[in-house]
Amino acid sequence: MNGMRSWIARRLLLGAVQTAAVVLLVFALTEALPGDAAVAFAGDQPDPQRIAAVREAMGLDRPAHERLADWVLGLLHGDFGTSLTSGRPVAGFLADGFGPTLLLAAVTVLLLVPVGVGLGVLAARHEGRFTDRLISSATLGVYAVPEFALGALLVSVFALRLGWFPPTAVGYGTGLLAHPAVLVLPVLVLLARPVCSLARLVRAGMIEALAAPYTAHAERYGIPGARVRYAHALPNALAPATQQLARTVDWLLCGVIVVEALYVIPGLGTVLMNAVADRDIPVVQGLAVVFGLATVVLNLGADLVTHRLAPRSGVAA
Amino acid sequence: MKPPMEQPMNENPVLASVTALTVEVDGRALVDRVSLRIRPGTVTALVGASGSGKTTTGLALLGEYPAGARVTGEVTVHGTRIGYVPQHPAAVLNPARRTGALLHDMARRQVRDLPRPQRRTAARQRVTEALADAQLDASAGVLGRYPHQLSGGQQQRVVLAQALLLGARVIVADEPTTGQDALTKRRIVDQLAAVAARGIAVLLLSHDLDVVRELADEVLVMRGGRVVEQGPAHRILDGPTHPWTKELLAEPRTLPYADPGRTGEELLTVDGLTARHRTAGRRAPVLNVDRLTLRRGECLAVVGRSGSGKTTLARCLAGLHRDHTGQILLDGTALPRSLRDRSREQLAAVQYVFQDARAAFDEHRPVLDQVARTAVRLRGAGHREATEEARRTLTDLGLDDALVRRAPGGLSGGELQRAALARALLARPRVLVCDEITSGLDPVTRRSLLDLLATLIRRPGGPGVVLITHDLDTAAPATRLAVLDGGHIVEQGTREQILTAPRHPFTAALLAASRRWGAAVRP
Amino acid sequence: MNRLRRYGPGAAVVAIPLGLALAGPFLAGEPSARAASFTLGGGHRLGTDFVGRDVVHQVLLGGRPVVLVALAATALAYLVALPLGLISALTHRRWLEEVLMRPPDVLLAVPSLLMILLVAAAFPPGPVGLALLVAFVSIPDAARIVRAAAAEAASRPAVEALRMQGESWWRIAVGYVGRSILRTLAADAGIRLTGVLYLVATAAFLGIGVAPDAADWAVMVDRNRTGLLIQPWAVVVPALLIVALTMGGNLLVDAALQHRTPPRKGRRP
Repeated sequence: MNGMRSWIARRLLLGAVQTAAVVLLVFALTEALPGDAAVAFAGDQPDPQRIAAVREAMGLDRPAHERLADWVLGLLHGDFGTSLTSGRPVAGFLADGFGPTLLLAAVTVLLLVPVGVGLGVLAARHEGRFTDRLISSATLGVYAVPEFALGALLVSVFALRLGWFPPTAVGYGTGLLAHPAVLVLPVLVLLARPVCSLARLVRAGMIEALAAPYTAHAERYGIPGARVRYAHALPNALAPATQQLARTVDWLLCGVIVVEALYVIPGLGTVLMNAVADRDIPVVQGLAVVFGLATVVLNLGADLVTHRLAPRSGVAA
Repeated sequence: MKPPMEQPMNENPVLASVTALTVEVDGRALVDRVSLRIRPGTVTALVGASGSGKTTTGLALLGEYPAGARVTGEVTVHGTRIGYVPQHPAAVLNPARRTGALLHDMARRQVRDLPRPQRRTAARQRVTEALADAQLDASAGVLGRYPHQLSGGQQQRVVLAQALLLGARVIVADEPTTGQDALTKRRIVDQLAAVAARGIAVLLLSHDLDVVRELADEVLVMRGGRVVEQGPAHRILDGPTHPWTKELLAEPRTLPYADPGRTGEELLTVDGLTARHRTAGRRAPVLNVDRLTLRRGECLAVVGRSGSGKTTLARCLAGLHRDHTGQILLDGTALPRSLRDRSREQLAAVQYVFQDARAAFDEHRPVLDQVARTAVRLRGAGHREATEEARRTLTDLGLDDALVRRAPGGLSGGELQRAALARALLARPRVLVCDEITSGLDPVTRRSLLDLLATLIRRPGGPGVVLITHDLDTAAPATRLAVLDGGHIVEQGTREQILTAPRHPFTAALLAASRRWGAAVRP
Repeated sequence: MNRLRRYGPGAAVVAIPLGLALAGPFLAGEPSARAASFTLGGGHRLGTDFVGRDVVHQVLLGGRPVVLVALAATALAYLVALPLGLISALTHRRWLEEVLMRPPDVLLAVPSLLMILLVAAAFPPGPVGLALLVAFVSIPDAARIVRAAAAEAASRPAVEALRMQGESWWRIAVGYVGRSILRTLAADAGIRLTGVLYLVATAAFLGIGVAPDAADWAVMVDRNRTGLLIQPWAVVVPALLIVALTMGGNLLVDAALQHRTPPRKGRRP
């Protein structure tokens, strides 16, 4: 299995390059600001004192490569720098927002795979019949809908009209786990797109696998239907789906930002949006690195799983 | 397998029978009133070109029909299961599961009656036995590999092992030797003979008459879904009565392609060539040719098994494979490695005809226009003039005007291969490199294409031809033969030398595996 | 299957939002005088918004920016992705291929919305900037699709046969490869448009590339949320329109895709 090992090595290398690229990109963007960055950051009322403070905090009087080296070294030690607006360490912001975001993401991912695969298999088993048409058109329709629009509608109906769930997380602080009702709508919105995409892929893959000669061959040789479906056809359907799962990581991260804004959940997304609004660059940089790293790692994991499931398909590396 | 003594067939019980089977799809009969009986230990061959209804009949035995088919007639199977070895064994092997998965699933169902603790061992035992029967060693790790990690031969044996594990007493083998070289064919024939010797009946679907001749006890010749002739193998093969059978059975060409008296000076010379392929990031040498020469007016055949490097050699000549060292000389002048660097004259001088003619044409444009472009680009002809010349050449090769105005989709494989020849000829090439140009064609079409090639070579000013092939029958009429194995030319010489007095063991093995040429080297 | 049944559902869903987006600004007329925030009635059929503007008027104006920015961004993305993918698929110089395709590969690692936020934090963009930004983050994936399709077409013997005939690079690239990948590209463009629509609307909702009081359906959903309890229409109507626009668009693209792929063959040969 020499090929496997070299593939993994190449894939890990790509991951490392991507990580480095994310870090560099984040740094370069702030570096590319026109004019004096400190003036730009100081905001609408350029108060000389504030400009000086910003300049001091960002070390703008030193050459770029030194600042980059310092910043990267800091990142390696978990030191993300200091917020421009509050003067608190960025790591503190990250720690505050981490809990709610992790909770949201974890619940979503836990539900995503069984619901997505389940719906896909269900539709494939009833290909062309009512169940399939229902699942197919629903997943197709919801697939492209932005989270904020769907979320706003769900709040109007289920929170305001019916009163089943609270409309926002305001007042629940960070103890979301103690109030599961608060989580229902955010998780539902967060799930919508990835579930649809996953279900559609599993359905297509499953229908293809069920029609493939190897499935006919297993049936021909007396393997019972359920075993053919789940032990022989499903693994083929899952390979393309896992690959897509990696790409839905992207959507989940986008979704988290929107959902946190929509339901006022004090997670990383909210921290990011506030920092963007305040142009608090060190905080934006820190969060971008964390989000970027999460994507790289999750993509890497999904590619490894895909490679295991479909050793033949050349996952780009 | 042919029984050692003449046994009266009727004493053998019938394992399966097909009676007046008709399979229609959209009102078109794929199979029309076919009847046959299958007895233990015998090989029944369904012979015919592709599309003659062989596969549909074979699958009917398994109770499988095309979607939307209307079926009449009767298929009865007496107390046995039927195994199936398809043309491409990889298609029935699940790409996402290890080879052992289906075998173990099948074995586990057979040992359900045993007490639970013994089941695992018993199932494993059965799988090992089935593999051994199919000449595979379970301890070699075949079970733990994915299908794509097995060789083609191993894949075929795994599929056979599945059928044997099933306990099938009838096995349907669909085109098992198509596109295989002589040595691989030999192995497959031996394997099927061994299966039949175990008392298992084989239904062989094939258009490979050599294989049919060796294995079959009973032959049915099919054409357009109908059986045109049916009977014991020796009677059909030695004394065919139906004209179609006669045409199918006609011997391949033995008359030399080139005029032996007209061989001229050296035209194309390969000197110290080493070609490499990039696999998994490494560049490994796949072909080493010290010296190979094509003379004016002759046909040089390069024979080898798949993977021997013969296509790479052809592509190096044509400038399609750039990654090589050494020289290719045309009239003593070195040709640039890549065709991107070759001048118009050099491009025109060495033309290449592809194995898959359909893939080598643009599916959107009429064939005539595509053929004419050669004269426009390589000889600077005007559009009208080029079209006129293309039309003449195509007509000359037997393709009429209405046909070549169609897009490639409207032509058959044989017709497209002729058009591909015409496209190359319009360059007025000195050297024509033909890469397996007959491999996908049925015997009748193949023969007519090779006859055409001979006509071209024999014309005054006709091109010298490098004929790349895995098929000894196709190579035999060439002026000279070069035998390629493992990237090396193991032997080259005139056809008489190679075919009657081979010096290299590989050449001898290749000849021995062929029915027609084997006599020369068999003790 | 007839056309109506195939395209009917998608077309019906997308007709209202698309019609409003295109024709709305011409129907809107002059804005009426501002009333109190979040009121219902008083001559305003859908009430007023967070600064007391007529919601109907805002809805008529608010579709155009979403649709136009999305269309512009998709076109821009292809303008770059098409040559990038074609050249890298057709070159035989490995270094050129690496130089062209590796950077997009690496960019693919950054979530698109994150990238937009990151750039927006440094340079707050206007609508044109947003279109450029969304196009920029869409390039890597589009280029990859173009390259994959073109590489498949370029590896066919037909291309080698054209080279053997001495055909020019342009004729091979545009005349054969370009033509062969047209279907794949059309399919991908449809999918990409819905993806871009999503990004544009979401970015606008997060306040990127739009004025805080812009007449834009996504901005309306964001800004009017505070009054959801008193005046839900200012949120529900634009949200519904965006849902209908993206949903219908996707249904249409899917119907077109199925129309183009040949029907499945029967189960057994």
